[in-house]
Amino acid sequence: MSIMEYNGGSVIAMVGKGCVAIGSDLRLGNQALTVATNFEKVFPVTDRIYLGMSGLATDVVTLREQFRFRVNMYTIKEERDIEPEAFAHLVSSTLYERRFGPYFIEPVMAGLWKTQKGEHKPYIAAADLIGCLNFAKDFVVAGTASEKLFGVAEGLWEPDLEPEDLFETISQTLLNGVDRDAFSGWGAIIHVITPDKVITRTLKGRMD
Amino acid sequence: MNTFVNQFSTSSALSVIRKAQALVDDDEEFSDAAWGSEAGFGNLAKGVPSFSVPAVHDPTAFLRLHTDDHADPNCRIKIQHGTTTLAFRFQGGVIVAVDSRATAGSYIASGTVKKVIEINPYLLGTMAGGAADCQYWETYLGIQCRLHELRNRERISVAAASKYLSNLVYSYKGMGLSMGTMICGWDKTGPAVFYVDSDGTRLKGDLFSVGSGSTFAYGVLDQGYRWDLTDEEAQELGRRSIYAAGHRDAFSGNTCNLYHVKEDGWRFLGNYDITKMHYEGPGDVPGSAKTGYGYDVRVEGRVSSAAPAVAS
Amino acid sequence: MASASVYNPVGFDFSNQVRNQFLQEKGLPLPKATSTGTTIVGCLFKDGIVLGADTRATEGPIVADKNCEKIHYITDSIRCCGAGTAADTEFTTALISSNMELHALSTGRKPRVVTAMTMLKQMLFRYQGHVGAALVLGGVDATGPHLFTIHPHGSTDKLPYVTMGSGSLAAMAVFESAWKPNMTREEALDLVRDAIFAGIFNDLGSGSNVDACVITASHTEMLRNFVKPNERVEKEQRYKFRRGTTAWKKESIKDLIVSEEITPIGGQVEAMDVS
Repeated sequence: MSIMEYNGGSVIAMVGKGCVAIGSDLRLGNQALTVATNFEKVFPVTDRIYLGMSGLATDVVTLREQFRFRVNMYTIKEERDIEPEAFAHLVSSTLYERRFGPYFIEPVMAGLWKTQKGEHKPYIAAADLIGCLNFAKDFVVAGTASEKLFGVAEGLWEPDLEPEDLFETISQTLLNGVDRDAFSGWGAIIHVITPDKVITRTLKGRMD
Repeated sequence: MNTFVNQFSTSSALSVIRKAQALVDDDEEFSDAAWGSEAGFGNLAKGVPSFSVPAVHDPTAFLRLHTDDHADPNCRIKIQHGTTTLAFRFQGGVIVAVDSRATAGSYIASGTVKKVIEINPYLLGTMAGGAADCQYWETYLGIQCRLHELRNRERISVAAASKYLSNLVYSYKGMGLSMGTMICGWDKTGPAVFYVDSDGTRLKGDLFSVGSGSTFAYGVLDQGYRWDLTDEEAQELGRRSIYAAGHRDAFSGNTCNLYHVKEDGWRFLGNYDITKMHYEGPGDVPGSAKTGYGYDVRVEGRVSSAAPAVAS
Repeated sequence: MASASVYNPVGFDFSNQVRNQFLQEKGLPLPKATSTGTTIVGCLFKDGIVLGADTRATEGPIVADKNCEKIHYITDSIRCCGAGTAADTEFTTALISSNMELHALSTGRKPRVVTAMTMLKQMLFRYQGHVGAALVLGGVDATGPHLFTIHPHGSTDKLPYVTMGSGSLAAMAVFESAWKPNMTREEALDLVRDAIFAGIFNDLGSGSNVDACVITASHTEMLRNFVKPNERVEKEQRYKFRRGTTAWKKESIKDLIVSEEITPIGGQVEAMDVS
């Protein structure tokens, strides 16, 4: 039993056509004991950036506040919202700063960035617990069910999915992935970020 | 080959078995080949079997090295640990309920495992710990129970059957067997439940639960158990207890298999999906409350944290 | 300790050490950081240096990134390939790149490869191998082309052809059999490609595509995805789900477009008299 499995939980993000989706399961465990089934692991950073974290729950909560603080300071200093790429590097350096005494979380980021023409382009990224970034063009996963999610996502994901289709694909990937993991599941939540709105849905998942 | 058996040959049970083996050997007219592989049991019917052991200095330590995932999470052979099984005795017989999840580490290897072993029409055994150990030895117990019937022209008592198993696993003590089982049935004395595990423990009792989810099952079971439960109430209690364990324990879940043992033998009552029980209840079955067992389902619309659902 | 300021002191933060030590003593093993099985190479040719790398990043037995970048920028005419702990190679090269830029600014000269090599080895030696970066450093400066390997503990080698990472043996076999002095650019690039191929196909920790970088005195050419020998064929079946497949319990939509609607109240507004 590693620290990363102590509380359980998984996160996933996927790219669609002009949109991104990010979601997590809702379990908070204490090893094999399920303590709560409403523990969301995805948080809004700006209107169009969401951050998901899996791993040790105490660090998930600590870092959520840490990032909120740092993003607020950025917004005040720069007088603009942070862009996904800058935020990914903020996350990465925050984690690498603790290279020899890490936080036990694996972050997953999803957002839309604005081109000079004013278009919104999808952006997703993930990092390991010491901040090695992984930019992917398709999907990223983290958490106790990551191996299973990799497998399902590799089979189900396809390019250029419209927001509603992306919702179905990410939901099915997450639900079926966590159903094969003992430490994840007990419901799920998905955010689909499009240029003009964010759709948040709580999924009906297996409760065992 | 059977040096292990010889090491433990002082145990009285074994000498009895050995006598039985001699007996079987005596009235054997046909060769083994005439019976094919004897249903895969090899020379088992002739008494205590002997196993091939690895050619190392200390086979017991060798086995432990490769199967003890507490000491080494990366050990080669992972024995199934997570389970919830329960059995209880009441006025109307015995209720046996189990979950159906098999895990290998955090991976859910199967959600459709049969954890109740039907030893014969009057005896049931449950499975917790090593799946292979339980399956093999409880089926073997079935053979011995049948031989008992043929020799004595009467069914074996639950007490005798469970003692047979307990003596057997005791003879292998310390060699890596892992099983926690309940032998349930109906005999001349009425309904009976015995707990037998690979340490050699054998307990007679009214109510047992075994496995990683047993604490959760006990919580519901103790709260709802009475001797004068009706059949329907007892069946519902069994289902509800397995649901509770499946919901809270990461290593239990998927479905619940429910059995009821009465005077005329056991009856399989059904297979109930635990998530379905959470949202909708067990369906149209006797004793069911007809609503979901889940907390947020039961209190929906009545507390701020569980607002009324929006139809999708 | 982390202060309430955004201006944190430089260097690593050890404030989680006590807690993590405690968790470890409680019997929870600390998770290992992602280490990349890698093939990285470099070779000298007539006009300069060719660097090569595969593009696979692994987390244990899982391929985490199928097309990552392992050739890092140091200066315009110096590049560095990284193997080992992924985050360490990333941040070590970024730090040295930054220091090289500052060095160039303060001296007013184009920085030399040996300078980068010395900075890297001194940093890695200071951390006694705990910063797990195994590097191949190559570039061209005023003193000509240079090629180095730097090991995680801080030792360095200067050779005409070098390999590193889990696929280094496979790649070195290719170099040993086919490298010769004074190769042309094309010969060198082909050799580097073959060396990386050897890693991609024979080492399980390496895979996907070949990145290459050609550095000469006048020009640096980064050949990202120089060869893609493992292109995935298009899926023949699609697994698109019918909309409405997934059952959900609750929905909330956050509108990001702020719209305003003006409803005149208080009866008819007469047009302003502008006469």
